[in-house]
Amino acid sequence: MAISGHEQFAHDVSGIINQRIAEKVSFLRQVDEAVKDHHDKKIYQLLDNQRYAKEIEHREQQPNNQSVMSLVDDITNYLSNFLSIKLIDYLGKKYPFFYYEEYETGHYRIYFGNWWDRREFGELDVLNVRFLFNDDEYDKLKKTFELSRDNKRYNSDKIDKISAENDRLQDLIDHQREREEQRTKLQEQLKDVSSRSGIWESTKNKESRQSLIDALQKLEDEEEESRTAAQTIKDNEQVVLSLSKENTILSYEQKSILDTFGSFEDFELANRNLYANYIKSLSDDQEKQVTDDEQ
Amino acid sequence: MMNNKQMLNQPSEQLNALAHSFDHGLEIGQHYVKLLTKLAQTDDAHDLLTATNDLVNLDLEDAFVKFPQHYQVADYYLLLMGRLLEMHSNAEFKITEDPTSHRFYATISALGEKVLFHFIKDAEGNAAFTDVNDNEPIFSLNLKHQMLRFNNKALVNYFIINGLKKYSDLDLRSAIKPLLLFAQALHDDLNFVIDRGILGTSNQQHYDLAQPELSLTVIDRLFVATAETDYMLFNLPKNNGAELRLERQVNLDLSFDPDDYSQQWFFSVQDPDAQVSFFDLLLHYQLIRDWYLSNRDELAVKSDPLMFADDEQVEQGETITDEPVLEDDEQND
Repeated sequence: MAISGHEQFAHDVSGIINQRIAEKVSFLRQVDEAVKDHHDKKIYQLLDNQRYAKEIEHREQQPNNQSVMSLVDDITNYLSNFLSIKLIDYLGKKYPFFYYEEYETGHYRIYFGNWWDRREFGELDVLNVRFLFNDDEYDKLKKTFELSRDNKRYNSDKIDKISAENDRLQDLIDHQREREEQRTKLQEQLKDVSSRSGIWESTKNKESRQSLIDALQKLEDEEEESRTAAQTIKDNEQVVLSLSKENTILSYEQKSILDTFGSFEDFELANRNLYANYIKSLSDDQEKQVTDDEQ
Repeated sequence: MMNNKQMLNQPSEQLNALAHSFDHGLEIGQHYVKLLTKLAQTDDAHDLLTATNDLVNLDLEDAFVKFPQHYQVADYYLLLMGRLLEMHSNAEFKITEDPTSHRFYATISALGEKVLFHFIKDAEGNAAFTDVNDNEPIFSLNLKHQMLRFNNKALVNYFIINGLKKYSDLDLRSAIKPLLLFAQALHDDLNFVIDRGILGTSNQQHYDLAQPELSLTVIDRLFVATAETDYMLFNLPKNNGAELRLERQVNLDLSFDPDDYSQQWFFSVQDPDAQVSFFDLLLHYQLIRDWYLSNRDELAVKSDPLMFADDEQVEQGETITDEPVLEDDEQND
């Protein structure tokens, strides 16, 4: 029983091995052929059969065979590089405002635009045909679209605040002479009031003396601030310039998305359907191979 | 002296000498009249130039024969310009003589009858074409060296800053036309060397900035200004500057040659038909004009005067002042 069971098991084992190896060989052969033919659609199917079945063939619940798929784990960077050629070409037409930089084999940084100043916007995941946008940068853009409904810009509030501060500082600088006159006047009043002070000083006199001292102190503070105001204004202008630059970048991005997709929602929709749309576009490119596949 | 006195002792000899002197004076006069006639009537550009040149250099002073009022040197330049434009059938540029001063003035139809132009001598001894009320040397002309150069600074001051206060951009564009036509005629008919400056329309032309360095903040300001417009400012592929894209595939670049270690910044204008100049862009686009004028210290385009190291000056050997003149001139060629 044990022996025959063992034999049975041994028989099963070699059967299992044969079958598994045959699967692996078949998988690798298919990958090999698809790469030779640059049949990218087939490669995508082999790399993620589950997703392919669901999104392209509309067949649910096709499990991925991890044991064969893991065979290419150590060459994903090369596959990514290989598949990027057609994908980036496609994206160049559908997302004309994105630029890609391969910072290491098979890894791509996304830049939004080629304008005077632009943002790094995330990464392109070639094997899964999706954008991995940088959350912070993406949120800024999203916010820009929301604000634009009220005709506002991303940094408008900050810029308005700093500009108001600069106006106030400029005012301090412009009114130096008035401050000087005011000070002389207050000092004389203080001298007058002080002459009536002493142990028997009236509460009223005391109060007015204090208020004069406070007013003088306020003038002194303003004077102090006005001394550095010119530099602060300059520094603030620099801050406003960089905030304005960010506004400009965001407005360029917004403009590009509107030109290409019509709305931010359609942009997001396109991103969600990118895999399916791209793989389908490959079918069109390789019609003969596609009909072969489908038969 | 002794000989002279002896010679003139005889009355007939004295008379002869006097007649001879009158003759000489009259010859000058006849020559003068001939030149004036030629200037007024010839249909040949070369004859016109020769006549102008001769008149400019003619000394009408004579002890025995005095001529009544005659024109000033600057008037001949204006007449040359008027006649040459007439030969090229330009009707926008008109020359009139002031009835009291007998000076000639030019008007350009796009600017109306009240704006008068004439030539004056500029600091370098060339004839400079200017508004009589303004003295901005719009261009300078040197007949001896056969060269004409537009003055970039004056073009901006006269047309872009002051002109636009009173005229539309289209009027000013029309006003420039006869001036450009004159330059073209000098080049085509008489082989003059022409420097159109910021009026040049070649896509290859570089308008060098006067300042050796440019802070990128200045370009940032243009970038920020574009947010309110339909135009966009792009980075150049080699990170060597910026490109402003306007309508009809017209681009304004502010860049430097990435292979040139001196990093000389320059403007250039690209358009499909090589028809648009930097001046046109300043004239038509408020975005560019406002940015250029509010950052003019940094962005000013070089504006070299028309200078020649004359033979005479070189011979004098006092080259301290001449050297920079030579260098300036070379830079610009």
